Amino acid sequence: MGDEYPTLFRSEQMSLVQLIVPTEVAHDTIAELGELGNVQFKDLNPDVNPFQRSFVGEIRRIDEMARRVRFFASQVEKEKEPIPIRPLYDSAPLLTVGPRGAQTIDELDVKLAEHEARLTQMNESYQLLSERLRELVEARHVLRETAVFFEQAAVRETEARTSLDDSSAPLLQHDDREQQFSSGELQFDLEFVAGTIDRARLSTFERVLWRVLRGNLYMNYIDIQEPFVDPATGAETRKNVFIIFAHGDILLSKIRKIAESMGATIYPIDVNADKRADSMREVTGRLEDLQIVLYNTGANRRAELMTIGENLASWQDVVAKEKLIYETLNLLNYDVRRKTLIAEGWCPTRDIPQIQLALRHATEESGTNVPPILHELRTNRTPPTFHRTNKFTEGFQTIMDAYGVATYQEVNPGLFAVITFPFLFAVMFGDIGHGFIITIAAALMILFERNLGKADLGEIIGTFFFGRYIILLMGFFSIYTGFLYNDIFSKSLHLFHSGWDFREDYFNGTVGASNGHTYPFGIDPAWHGAENGLLFTNSYKMKMSIVLGVIHMTFAVCLQVPNHIRFKRFSDIYTNFIPQMIFLQSIFGYLVICIIYKWTVDWEKATTQPPSLLNMLISMVLSPGSVDPESQLYPGQSTVQVILLLLAGICVPWLLVTKPYLQWQEMKKIQGQGYIGLGADDAPRHTDDTTLEGEEEGNGRAIVEANDEEHEQHDFSEVVVHQVIHTIEFCLGCVSHTASYLRLWALSLAHAQLSEVLWDMTIAKVLGMSGLIGIIALILVGAMWLVLTIAILCVMEGLSAFLHALRLHWVEANSKHYEAGGYQFVPLSFARLNEKQ
Amino acid sequence: MEALLFNVSGGFLEGIVRGYKAGLLTQNQYNNLTQCETIEDFRTQLSATDYGNFLANEPLPISTSTISDKATQVLVDQFNYLRSNAVEPLSKFLEYMTYAYMIDNVILIITGTLHGRNTNELLQRCHPLGIFDTMPALCVATNVEELYHTVLVETPLAPYFRDSVTAADLDDLNIEIIRNTLYKAYLEDFDAFCQSLGGPTAEIMHRILAFEADRRAINITINSFGTQLSKEQRAKLFPTIGRLFPEGNNALARADDIEQVRQACEPVAEYRAFFDSGSGAGRPNGQGGSESTANLLGDLGVSDELGAAADLEDRFFVHEVHLNKLAFLQQFQYAVFYSYVKLKEQEIRSLTWIAECIAQNARDRIHDFIPTF
Repeated sequence: MGDEYPTLFRSEQMSLVQLIVPTEVAHDTIAELGELGNVQFKDLNPDVNPFQRSFVGEIRRIDEMARRVRFFASQVEKEKEPIPIRPLYDSAPLLTVGPRGAQTIDELDVKLAEHEARLTQMNESYQLLSERLRELVEARHVLRETAVFFEQAAVRETEARTSLDDSSAPLLQHDDREQQFSSGELQFDLEFVAGTIDRARLSTFERVLWRVLRGNLYMNYIDIQEPFVDPATGAETRKNVFIIFAHGDILLSKIRKIAESMGATIYPIDVNADKRADSMREVTGRLEDLQIVLYNTGANRRAELMTIGENLASWQDVVAKEKLIYETLNLLNYDVRRKTLIAEGWCPTRDIPQIQLALRHATEESGTNVPPILHELRTNRTPPTFHRTNKFTEGFQTIMDAYGVATYQEVNPGLFAVITFPFLFAVMFGDIGHGFIITIAAALMILFERNLGKADLGEIIGTFFFGRYIILLMGFFSIYTGFLYNDIFSKSLHLFHSGWDFREDYFNGTVGASNGHTYPFGIDPAWHGAENGLLFTNSYKMKMSIVLGVIHMTFAVCLQVPNHIRFKRFSDIYTNFIPQMIFLQSIFGYLVICIIYKWTVDWEKATTQPPSLLNMLISMVLSPGSVDPESQLYPGQSTVQVILLLLAGICVPWLLVTKPYLQWQEMKKIQGQGYIGLGADDAPRHTDDTTLEGEEEGNGRAIVEANDEEHEQHDFSEVVVHQVIHTIEFCLGCVSHTASYLRLWALSLAHAQLSEVLWDMTIAKVLGMSGLIGIIALILVGAMWLVLTIAILCVMEGLSAFLHALRLHWVEANSKHYEAGGYQFVPLSFARLNEKQ
Repeated sequence: MEALLFNVSGGFLEGIVRGYKAGLLTQNQYNNLTQCETIEDFRTQLSATDYGNFLANEPLPISTSTISDKATQVLVDQFNYLRSNAVEPLSKFLEYMTYAYMIDNVILIITGTLHGRNTNELLQRCHPLGIFDTMPALCVATNVEELYHTVLVETPLAPYFRDSVTAADLDDLNIEIIRNTLYKAYLEDFDAFCQSLGGPTAEIMHRILAFEADRRAINITINSFGTQLSKEQRAKLFPTIGRLFPEGNNALARADDIEQVRQACEPVAEYRAFFDSGSGAGRPNGQGGSESTANLLGDLGVSDELGAAADLEDRFFVHEVHLNKLAFLQQFQYAVFYSYVKLKEQEIRSLTWIAECIAQNARDRIHDFIPTF
């Protein structure tokens, strides 16, 4: 198999290989294999704690570097004006392999630490400065707002005076004290506290104050219009200026205490207008100075971030790769005495030469002359499933992998889905026009795939882009079935000479009459608009979907055979495949033959009425042996039907019994040969196996095991139960699955009707109009029609048809042959790393 | 009936909380954690659990308080998620759970202010689940009445507080009395609320709250030995929903030493084990066994008594964990929410303990934590 061309028919043949890598080249070897992306490493120390593994120190160091890089990335992201990050393909690669690799990493570590220290310091000073700035801005606001308040108060001052004349002693004392440092102009007797507070807390603040001071306060507050932005987090806070008047030192100190604990900032404000003006000037002056300093600091910081942005992408890449390398190295078995690492892993057999080459390359790069040794191990463990796909087949294979990953070397339905999937889709989506639209869409995506592949398209568009080749084929097939149905945007094409003539009949209006022609391809356009047109297409499409369904299922059943041969289960061919085939063909195969036969008969010239095939099938099962001569399809029908029914009837016990019986016989044969007491013998052997396995995993020694059949514990009752379920599922499944294929008819009918309705409701209404109004209406309605065609008929209907095609493959076809018991091959690959990011 | 209608409003959140519970650390993970050599190992080990990368962005070296804070933050986020998705009566139930933290925070701030601590520092040490708007204003209060009228009157704690408002000044003893009065009122109220919910919630929550009440009663008794607290005052602080109520409570009110406490607890089989020496449902290892023996001999030296109290506290925790684990055995009830939070708290305590032991290189005591699952 190894030298054959890679195929999708079966999964790639895999080998378990063992690598013996000298410690010096271990890092470079893994790096090389990661670039190659062909080896899936096994964990050789599953019992060892993650932090007790050999390379945990290195991982920790890389983690620390990764944290720094993340810190840079978040800083760069937070910067308001975007900082250019040089893309990876544009930056010089950092060589982490080869003799200087370790040194590069060391240097990078130091460099990152330096950058971090610098950036943190800058952030700190920036934050400190902006904090001071914020305080000054707040102070300015407080000054400004209180000034407004005082001015207002000054106007009303005289009135206030009279009311305060008979105030008590403390007030007067206080007045005196105030007088000492005020110039004795306009005076306020009340003391006050002014400051700023977070707007969200204002109401709580007010409430608490009110309660604490028992209402003995006068509070005024004004919103500050612009928000304050925290430089570190970028969060906005809105604040208010407040000024509170109250009596007495105790109360004031209480207010101050509460204000501070509520997160308010208090600013000393003087009652004197001149002093206020002074401090206002001072604050403004300091504000200007500070702004200059802040601007410089910000510019420095930005410059630093720019230098970081230059290299950020390559750092991220290196750190991610290094982490992956060391994590992989941790999976390996480390032999301290021999200074070697032992790796085990799966790789495709045909890629072993390539891997050998990579290993040699790694040795050369690292400058040592001890090459890593690779040799194949023989094993009885099931290898992972690996389908080699390209960008065309990838989408189709993903559809099948979503159902289940194929068992190793099983026939892969993904290969056939390349054709069957778009075809079944197109049966439901048959319209030349709509098919053309989606073909164009897919072709555009394929044309620009280089550019689109790099861009981040988002989840929805990304999914469509991923399936671009599926969509392309779906488009082609839709055009094809569109020709078959003779449908283009619900109209028909008149390519050839029609087989029908329409005459004005005196009694019946317009009637069609055959003119002897046969329309060479697809449905005759004459049916379009005929009164019984729907009746005809309905019957035609229904029968066609049954025919297609039975063919599809028969094909799926046939796919069992290569599996049985490959896995040497020859008995399964006649215990499973043959009875299943007979059962399916004797009932539904017969139905298909009847459908085709009925099409070939000219019922106008026949002696009997055309029979209903549905009733025929029902009466074939319910009342075998009796066929109404009025609706007989062909002579001798009842005998044929009884024989077929008997055949199908025989198949059920055949399916049910033969496989368990063979199994039982084999068991008896083994017992008859004197291997009695298998169970007792089996137990110690089994433990031997596990210890052997353990030894293999633990020490990684090459154990050449006999390539015997997998040691399966066949429990007889399990086989019986499995077979019973399988039989019931298959027999009932045949009926329901055949019926399920009628969705082909239903969806294609719905699609055709929907597009016809859309045409009739929009364009057909304005087509007859003439003059300027007619043209304008046609343009408007035409645009609407186009939008609705794309949105509803192409996208929505397309998704629905896609879904049903998916179901027909997963349920109706896959259940006939697909075991899907494998596990995916996940190689160590740097390419995947980038995908994840 | 619960089975019929519970899932209409509570099913989603019960599922969530059971999922959270499945993320609690297992014995195996604890074993791995105790083997760590450094805090970095500890972080690596934790990153393999449900905590994930919660410490990944912390610069080295990591302090144990960071671990504890971050872990608490995880719990708080989970709790807030539950709370914001809950509808009545679950939302009320969850709200009740926060009252306990509020009481702790109130007491913390009053005590801190009394001892002249910085308010901001105190605010940072408050449990995030028990924070309320007007909390910072607590620091201006100088006596109990002021406390009530300025701040607590608009919090949910107000009804609990109403009974204990006396003009007394705030000092350490009074604060302790306030705390216990509040707690008593809170437990009784919470229990009444759970009873009003009925069904398995009432049953299980009563079991848990009754134990909580008894634990408080016993603790109050032991802590009041040798203080000015009179026996009548002490009796007033005992919650009345515990299993010891009423005879046990009366006996506790009269108790003068540990031995009498032990006798008071005798009627309840589960509690008897708390006072047994060393073995039984005690701590995971035999540490502290000697002190207990000393107690039985009647030697009630102060240090021994403290040791016994600490030992007893651990056993209480073990029993609490046990009760909370039992809560998960029944479906269609709210006790799982309570139990999950308590178990997670215990887990955070255990994590902090292990981290602390690693940091201080006290490896011989590293196993003295209380595992949850």
